[in-house]
Amino acid sequence: MSEENKKYWKSLDGLNNSTDLPGKNHKEFPDSVTDGFNVESINGLSRRKFLGLLSVSTAIAATACSDYHDQKEIIPYTNRPEGVLPGKPNFYASTCNGCQEACGILIKTREGRPIKVDGNDEHPINKGKICATGQSSIYNLYDPSRLQNPLKGTSKTNWATADSEIIAKLDSVSKSGKKIVVLTNSINSPTERKMLDEFKQRFATAEVHAFDLFNNCNKKFGWFKSYGNAEIPSIKWDKANVILSLEGDFLGKEGNFIENTRLFSSKRDFSNVKNFNRLYVVEAGLSLTGSNSDYRMRLKPEAQYDFVMALLNEVIKKGASNIVVDSSVKNKLSKFSLDKIAKSNDLDSIKVNYLVEDLIKNKGKSIVYAGDSLSGDVQIAVNLLNEVLGNTDLYNYESAYVNTGKQLHFPQIEELIKSYNNGEVGAVIHYDVNPSFHLPKSLKYNEALKKVGFVISLVDSPNESTINDNFTLPINHNFESWGDAHSRKNVYSLRQPVIAPLFNTRQKEAILLTWILGSPKVYNESLYHDYLMESCRETIYSKKKLSVDFISFWNSALHDGFVNIESDGNSRKPFNISEIKIADSPKENSGFSILLAKDYFIGDGRFANNGWLQEIPHPISKVAWDNYAAIAPSSASEMNLKNGDIVNVTVGENSVKIPVLLQPGVAQNTLVIELGYGRTVISDVGKEVGKNANNLLNIKNLNSRWICSNASVEPTGENYKLVSTQEHHSLDEEFVKDLHLKRGIIREANLDEYAKNPKFANEEDIELVSITSEHGQVGTKWAMSIDMNKCTSCSVCVASCNVENNIPVVGKDQVAVGREMHWMRIDRYYSGSSEDPIVSNQPMLCQHCDNAPCENVCPVNATNHSPDGLNQMVYNRCVGTRYCGNNCPYKVRRFNFFNFRDHFEDGFYLNEVSPLVHNPEVTVRSRGVMEKCTFCVQKISEEREDAIREGRQIKGDNVVPACQQSCPADAIVFGDANDPESKISQYRKHELGYGVLQTLNVKPNVTYLAKLRNTHSEDI
Amino acid sequence: MSSDSLKYLEDISVIEGRPSLRSIDDVISKPLDTKPDKKYYIALAITLSMMGIGGIALIFSLYYGTGMWGNNNPVGWGLPIVNFVFWVGIGHAGTLISAILFLLRQKWRNGIARFAEGMTIFAVMTAGIFPAIHTGRPWLDGYLFPYPNQHGLWVNFNSPLLWDVFAVSTYFTVSFIFWYVGLIPDFAILRDRTKNKIKKTIYSITSLGWRGSNRHWQHYEMVYLVLAGFATPLVLSVHTIVSFDFAVSILPGWHTTIFPPYFVAGAVFSGFAMVQNVLIFIRKIFNFEHIITLDTLEKMNKVILLTGMLVGYAYGMEFFMAWYSGVQVEQFTFVNRAFGPYAWAYWIMVSCNVIFPQLFWFKKIRRTIPLMFVIGVFVNVGMWFERFVITVTSLSRDYLPSSWAYYTPTITDFAILIGSFGFFFTFLLLFTKTLPVVSMAEVKAVTYGAQPTHKDH
Repeated sequence: MSEENKKYWKSLDGLNNSTDLPGKNHKEFPDSVTDGFNVESINGLSRRKFLGLLSVSTAIAATACSDYHDQKEIIPYTNRPEGVLPGKPNFYASTCNGCQEACGILIKTREGRPIKVDGNDEHPINKGKICATGQSSIYNLYDPSRLQNPLKGTSKTNWATADSEIIAKLDSVSKSGKKIVVLTNSINSPTERKMLDEFKQRFATAEVHAFDLFNNCNKKFGWFKSYGNAEIPSIKWDKANVILSLEGDFLGKEGNFIENTRLFSSKRDFSNVKNFNRLYVVEAGLSLTGSNSDYRMRLKPEAQYDFVMALLNEVIKKGASNIVVDSSVKNKLSKFSLDKIAKSNDLDSIKVNYLVEDLIKNKGKSIVYAGDSLSGDVQIAVNLLNEVLGNTDLYNYESAYVNTGKQLHFPQIEELIKSYNNGEVGAVIHYDVNPSFHLPKSLKYNEALKKVGFVISLVDSPNESTINDNFTLPINHNFESWGDAHSRKNVYSLRQPVIAPLFNTRQKEAILLTWILGSPKVYNESLYHDYLMESCRETIYSKKKLSVDFISFWNSALHDGFVNIESDGNSRKPFNISEIKIADSPKENSGFSILLAKDYFIGDGRFANNGWLQEIPHPISKVAWDNYAAIAPSSASEMNLKNGDIVNVTVGENSVKIPVLLQPGVAQNTLVIELGYGRTVISDVGKEVGKNANNLLNIKNLNSRWICSNASVEPTGENYKLVSTQEHHSLDEEFVKDLHLKRGIIREANLDEYAKNPKFANEEDIELVSITSEHGQVGTKWAMSIDMNKCTSCSVCVASCNVENNIPVVGKDQVAVGREMHWMRIDRYYSGSSEDPIVSNQPMLCQHCDNAPCENVCPVNATNHSPDGLNQMVYNRCVGTRYCGNNCPYKVRRFNFFNFRDHFEDGFYLNEVSPLVHNPEVTVRSRGVMEKCTFCVQKISEEREDAIREGRQIKGDNVVPACQQSCPADAIVFGDANDPESKISQYRKHELGYGVLQTLNVKPNVTYLAKLRNTHSEDI
Repeated sequence: MSSDSLKYLEDISVIEGRPSLRSIDDVISKPLDTKPDKKYYIALAITLSMMGIGGIALIFSLYYGTGMWGNNNPVGWGLPIVNFVFWVGIGHAGTLISAILFLLRQKWRNGIARFAEGMTIFAVMTAGIFPAIHTGRPWLDGYLFPYPNQHGLWVNFNSPLLWDVFAVSTYFTVSFIFWYVGLIPDFAILRDRTKNKIKKTIYSITSLGWRGSNRHWQHYEMVYLVLAGFATPLVLSVHTIVSFDFAVSILPGWHTTIFPPYFVAGAVFSGFAMVQNVLIFIRKIFNFEHIITLDTLEKMNKVILLTGMLVGYAYGMEFFMAWYSGVQVEQFTFVNRAFGPYAWAYWIMVSCNVIFPQLFWFKKIRRTIPLMFVIGVFVNVGMWFERFVITVTSLSRDYLPSSWAYYTPTITDFAILIGSFGFFFTFLLLFTKTLPVVSMAEVKAVTYGAQPTHKDH
């Protein structure tokens, strides 16, 4: 019988009389049973009617009294929106606006709700990766402290009122001849810039000023002076054999460090060790780049100038110059003797000699990079050094940074504030900026602001600058906005909204556009969308000369998230050697120097309310929830300072009280302070976290506002508790020194040693015998490998894991007692001396051991082994004895000591919007259960479903856990270890591969590839 | 029969003087017959307050979560487990005295066995609180028992924690039965003495119809002997299994084969010290000085000296094995114990457990009540710290230096510790006023004239 003709029958009657299907004659109940059950037809109050009414009224009463908010009903779509399949994510390409780099992003949405953001694989700059801040920025969308309605003063108003009042006021200010000042960050969107130009046309007295706490203006200045063009090229790090970075954290926070990391790490490929690059870092603080260097020297920031001059002198003296250098320049340079400068600054002469030797030997294939904080003079000198060494081929002008225009410098800011005070300014518009926080208090910006009659702020949440506002207008999150960005010459990126605005907010561009158009009525949701399309048509589409119509172009551009554009050439001139300023003699640097640096995660402070970012430990010091003044242990002991002792740092008239942290590797008599902390007007998470050190910004030093000399540092005798996720041991304590090497946790060698002994990484591991038979594992076996040659400890994997796996934020008090919940952590170990440490990093996560010690001690079998090799955790079954955590030699298990969703007194995670950030595929863990890395089992399940549906075998390479997906260095490989063709099985077999604590015979399934350092053998 | 061969019979009297059988009953049941005095109520108020403090701390812990304690991510076990092991250890002396010494025919045990057993019961009850409350989700503790369920879920018999559940509950059950069986003849005496109707009813029920007939005694002695034989291996097994919680793991400093005997010796050590401490008060307050004699106390002090040296030997042997094994992590752990961040705890432990008990070599000190009391207190402090040192130092600094963290107990932790003492002593106080704290029947067996002798005839 064929499938179609199959007949189903319930009874013999039905079988014989197959036409007896439920039809119009069908009655569910036999006749007479329901007769008369019509409440209306019953006369009087019959028993039935009474009971009917009683039950209905009880039900109504019960329904009316119940709290709807607790219901959390799951309602299916009646009409399914097009393209949305429940349970299946949708991905949208867009552009990040966390900083100026405008990385391409791919936003994952589930049922219309953004839950994860990753890099856009096809984007030519960041190629599928974004930074930790970008990863965590999704939280800002659901931040309950976002301003939800426009405010007039401090009271709620509506947009129409606000718009009409503001337009009228701006018109009258404009007519009165007083200035309208618009303060912005530097703007990388051509359409936005165009809109601001139109704003200036509309209001004749309007001025637009840009200010960033951190910028690359010094570098732009250097390039402008050197080449007559302020467009800075990006650097082909992947072509550089030797890199010298001067106070430049290009792997951690400068330029597009995601791109830099990828290019840098591509020259750290263990399968091609001959091609390894060598990284020299000369810096004051121990930066992420410094921690990854082969050779690192400590130098106060002011001495960089002398050092570059001496290098120039040395290279030219050795006759290695690629260009002709005037004898007058040579003469002037000759005062800078490298030996002397090395000696006076305590630089290791062996390292300096290696550096000079390497730079000369690799002429044309090396690069010298100066950090953004170094002055224009140093930048010019570094440009000359690269010219002299013939390194200019490594400049990538095709993908140069687009000049986003002028920035305000402190003299201009002082002038601006003066004009506030003079009454020359009639209105100030804070266009998503926070000058009151960023500017030093001594400039008295807020006091001046009070003298301005009319202040408007366009912000996502109230901040320090909105205190004097006449109107505070809430703006959309990036994910709710349209936009574009052009930060690199060859790419034009588009931004599209992936969710309707959660609150009564508008995108900032549309707000200004409404005022330009002069009527509150013109606003509609597509106002800026249309404007953007028009702008794109004019500036991009028209130049492309495509055969497709604009709408198709637009749709495909939106789909891709970016458009490749032709670089319109670079009008640079040959290097202008006359611009180099050579001092008469090297300077003496005594007294304390201060270097103000950008924070790795919270940017200029705008992400301070993002708990995920606050809780990611600093990549080097592992301190969370605070900033501090990093000081060399020797300088600290001279002043009798311990960790957490508060010092009073005074520069000129400004002073700041800040705790010190004894950071190995910091230059003598130098404090390195990260800014962005100490926000005061912000919601609960970021309020008064860390200390505001913006006061120390050097308004007098026109060369660099981030470097202060001759600071005085006075201990106050007070102490402050800095919390970190790793204990700070004294490096000189023999007892705990180099344990990571003695225990084989970190295994490294330099290239020569590796050549001599390729099996150094695991030669000491003996084959362990077991008295029980091994569980032979057939089929899929999941495994991971981490290439320590590539890993830079940037912590993006930590951020990505947090978002993917709903990791709770526990707060400073809980980090202080060691209860942070990160499934993925980066362990940092020091070796060498406490002044000049060698840093080793190691991402640590659940090793999914074959013989997992956690499994056999759980009394209730809550943690057990899956057939495909996962060490799995059954939250429902867990009673929380914590025995598994005790018995885990890697200590990667994390216990929910509280209900961390409800731990903050404000019931932080219990409010309306915050829980929306959770990934619906991952259980939100309750109090009292153990949790840990699952190898992103939800992604494994997805692949299994796909494989079943498509009728094929599971393919290990199809599963990309969150950490691997986000690793900018491609250091993480995951897959099926039993698949001989997979990358993971190659990695596991590699001679550099080793398991941490292999001697315990737990058989970890995470293989680490030993780090190879490109150092000379003689130093070992 | 020569008088030499009967010499042991002369020494049989372990109680001083020649109290009549009736006077023994009178003295022992006096606390039961009289109304509690003011001092008793003050003592009870103190222990109840301590219990209340613990109770409040416990409510906070249950309401907010395990985070109220000092435990952190490397140190998953803190004070609750320390207290658990400590109280299980205290619970060792009772059954040892009543069962093992019974089998070894140590007659001096008769005067103290009942009380020591009572302490065992209460100590194990106190200990039992901790595994139950220390879990992250105490309301799911039932998962720890193998019961048939519709999920088809079964416990993990590989886990020492599960063995613990069985070991402690078995020990408690057997100790309790043994204790109760020992009480039956005394209940009968009380039943016969009392004039109070309610008491009479209760004693009639609890004495199970005991008439003291020859047959009763015959069966009774046999049951008691069998139960003593049954309880004896449990005395050794329960702390052995508690030590497995540590020894079965792979943590340096825990993963040691010496743990079972070392833990049992330690448990006897602390148990004897606690029994000695409390008896010093009991014999004074209730005028039992002639029943619980100085000789008995001296004998207990000798046991304390012996077990103290066993423990000291174990401390030394741990270090030796760490060195001898050549395992770097193991060596580090032990050096870290003695000289690392928890060195203070380690040296408290060593001085209290190894050094001070050496004073018991002097007979004078063995027989001086205030000194022996102080040393007994030291021993218990030391033994508490031993468990602290073992649990915390190993966890706080294990394999990966990156995850090391210092553990500091919180106020809640200490409040629960205080509460556990309150709980224990409250039960002890109630015990002294409700049940005969010395076995009347057994004491009569060792009094003058209870044994056949030709001396006075």
